[in-house]
Amino acid sequence: MAALRTLLYILVYPGILFLFLYSTFCEWFDRKAYARLQNRMGPTHTGRFGLLQPIADFVKLMSKEDVVPNAADRGMFNVLPLVGLAVVSTAALLLPIWNFDLAAPSVTSFSGDIIVLLYLLSLPTLVMFLAAWSSTNLFSTVGGTRVLTMLFGYEVPLFLSVLSPAILANSWRLAEIAAFYQKKPLLILPNLIGFGVAVIAVQAKLERTPFDIPHAETEIVGGTLTEYSGKKLALFRLMLDIEVVVSSALLATVFLAGFPGGGLLGFVQLVLKTLFVIFLLSLIRALTSRIRIDQVVSFAWKVLAPLAVLQLLIVILLKGFLK
Amino acid sequence: MRIAAFLPELLRHLFKKPNTVDYPFKKLEVPKDFRGTPYLQPELCIVCKACERDCPAEAIEITSVSEAEKRFRMVIHNDRCIHCAQCVDSCPTTPKAMAIDSLFELADFDRHRLKKEWVYVRAVLKPKPAAPKPDAQPEPAPKA
Amino acid sequence: MKFQIPIGPQHPALKEPISLRMTVEGEVIRDADIRLGYNHRGLEKLAEEKTWIQNIYLTERICGICSHSHATCFVQGVEKLMEVVPPKRGLYIRYLVAELERVHSHLLWLGVAGHEAGFDSFFMYTWRDREVVMDLLEMVSGNRVHYAINTLGGVRRDLDAGQKAKILEGVAVLRKRSEYYFRIGASEPSFVARIAGVGRLSKGQAESLCAVGPTARASGITRDVRKDDPCAVYDEMDFEVGTADSGDVLGRVVVRVKELLESYKIIEQIIRKLPEGPIAVRAPRKAKPGEAVSRYEAPRGENMHYIKSNGSEKPERLKVRAPTLANYPATIEMLRNGFIADIPLIFAAIDPCICCAERVVTLVDVRSGEEMAVRLSDLRRRAAGRGPNALPKRNAAWPL
Repeated sequence: MAALRTLLYILVYPGILFLFLYSTFCEWFDRKAYARLQNRMGPTHTGRFGLLQPIADFVKLMSKEDVVPNAADRGMFNVLPLVGLAVVSTAALLLPIWNFDLAAPSVTSFSGDIIVLLYLLSLPTLVMFLAAWSSTNLFSTVGGTRVLTMLFGYEVPLFLSVLSPAILANSWRLAEIAAFYQKKPLLILPNLIGFGVAVIAVQAKLERTPFDIPHAETEIVGGTLTEYSGKKLALFRLMLDIEVVVSSALLATVFLAGFPGGGLLGFVQLVLKTLFVIFLLSLIRALTSRIRIDQVVSFAWKVLAPLAVLQLLIVILLKGFLK
Repeated sequence: MRIAAFLPELLRHLFKKPNTVDYPFKKLEVPKDFRGTPYLQPELCIVCKACERDCPAEAIEITSVSEAEKRFRMVIHNDRCIHCAQCVDSCPTTPKAMAIDSLFELADFDRHRLKKEWVYVRAVLKPKPAAPKPDAQPEPAPKA
Repeated sequence: MKFQIPIGPQHPALKEPISLRMTVEGEVIRDADIRLGYNHRGLEKLAEEKTWIQNIYLTERICGICSHSHATCFVQGVEKLMEVVPPKRGLYIRYLVAELERVHSHLLWLGVAGHEAGFDSFFMYTWRDREVVMDLLEMVSGNRVHYAINTLGGVRRDLDAGQKAKILEGVAVLRKRSEYYFRIGASEPSFVARIAGVGRLSKGQAESLCAVGPTARASGITRDVRKDDPCAVYDEMDFEVGTADSGDVLGRVVVRVKELLESYKIIEQIIRKLPEGPIAVRAPRKAKPGEAVSRYEAPRGENMHYIKSNGSEKPERLKVRAPTLANYPATIEMLRNGFIADIPLIFAAIDPCICCAERVVTLVDVRSGEEMAVRLSDLRRRAAGRGPNALPKRNAAWPL
């Protein structure tokens, strides 16, 4: 019985099926917000308001021919989309969406799971690099080196800024952090600098403008995903979509006091808070232009990292003050 | 250099109606002198073949069907036509036998379905020059 | 470690096929090699088979964005050969459409530059405003691209009061938006960081490499055919030539936006000073034998047409020197020691209209891979040797 329940959790809610539907909904929201900011319509005709457009894109890609280049490393090339998808779906299981029982740590909610979540979120970057490397295409190689160079830039500010509220809440467990901020909502305010830094760093992790350098269309054709087509490309894009959902849910948990209320209320809060974070990401995407790779690293180390350290200092001082 | 100088403009657009037109469910009107497809008014044509001579894309073909009855056939190959309306300008009759309408949604699966043809008897109207005025007497026609 | 990156012929950064082979070391470009010929359509030969009137439409279709500039340059040259002087009103309307086309081309370029830099919102906004200009052009000439408003001896359509009022309204809206883009383009930090200092071309280099148009004007050279060699309309208008001193992509953006604002001034002056009169004079069917060179300031630079006539109703030779062709050597110089990430921006900054510039083909022997250059006289000899009576087009069987 417990096995059946676990299987249902993994496959349906909050497992694969829920993630698939919710991430396509978030992609629709992102595309619609981006389009409306630019005075155009966005997806309109597939399904009501264009809601089925990302699913239609997925189905279309799945039905196209899958071409594997001759010189590519077949084993890695074929298995990487599935690995990436597995990694981000596992990361989604760690979010405190449905497990809010603070007293009983389980395999999906335990002390230190915030670190595991951040680690699981850096794996897709490695997957993209390996995908680029195994494609043995000139453009993919350049894209792969750019992905890793960007990793050196944004990873440290992201970690520092996400861990600051955890330090203030005195816990390394996502469910407890969310519960702490639900009890004392005013303490969200000192973390705002960290929120800003985290949003920008997440934008870099998700490879969206101004950081979409690894797959800059006008410079290196497709970048890391140049040689992927058909089903593998569909799975990679699904992986990127789920990464958006997981990252924004992580930011909502840590900075915006999670999804309390269990069941229906928790679900509604999940939708609202993740859509708010995704709206901020779309706004940044519409606002800026792409910057160069050397400018990313210098921006990350000269602006983002000091701000994250400042946030950490504020949190430490506040903790001392509150004691 | 201000950070996010673009931001107020972007946010204002969230509340404006989108600028894109929902074609093909809503269509825009074309202006008055839009150059669509050419067509013939056969009762006015005197078969001077000026349009056939001047067409840059060889899209007009005039052949004689019967000499005795002075019957001619004109085929306009709309798949070759470049919509320049030079045939309308070259036509010497008043009113002009070649005219241009506002249709532009011509797409079809078979290019042979785009050809239009007329079979008619040559008209006996006297041609009057409707082309630009000759050099000899430049009369300033008042154009509003 | 040097290796060659091919940009093109198929590349999302390019709107038309051209092959740029870059030799790169890391992220820095060491050398560039441009190969043309992918878009060659044989227009100069085709022009010899069509009459003067048909050639107006042919030269118009050399390019889509600068269509009016090629048609006008051709018509100016043929009017010189035929010794036909168009009436004032015709000339005014012709150059009104020319300035509207300049506005449309520069707004298009601003959007393309934004897109190459990744600034998609800017791209969407400038192209939305371009719709205002295209609607004006559709109202004046009957089509949004390929205006076909020129004819030998003047123009084909006239303007009435309602159309004049609409043009002034449209220009007022566009002037407000262009000034806004000027401020944004110069102050959005990520955009400026991308385009400042990129693709530098000094004044001496620009002069020795014969750069034309905004590419040269951004390096401080004040050269504009509208001022240096004005025809009847431009020396009655009051406008300035926009220049910048930085010689980089930011300078070229600044020059083009300045030209936009000057074009609005010129359009308003043309509308206000539009004289009454006929719009065209009748032109003969045959031109007197002779040669004519006609120059015109296209949005991309100086456009030159050389026309030779032998007294018949078809030209004997038409040679087109498009402005982008003159800017290619300068582009190679600009690409040296730049970053890979800057290639699309540097290339887009010269406003390449690759189909305008396709006049050359490199012949490569399939078996040996050897390249050769063939002279035009050789090509003519080979074509004549194919058959003494090359059938006129009209009797040839259409393939479809």
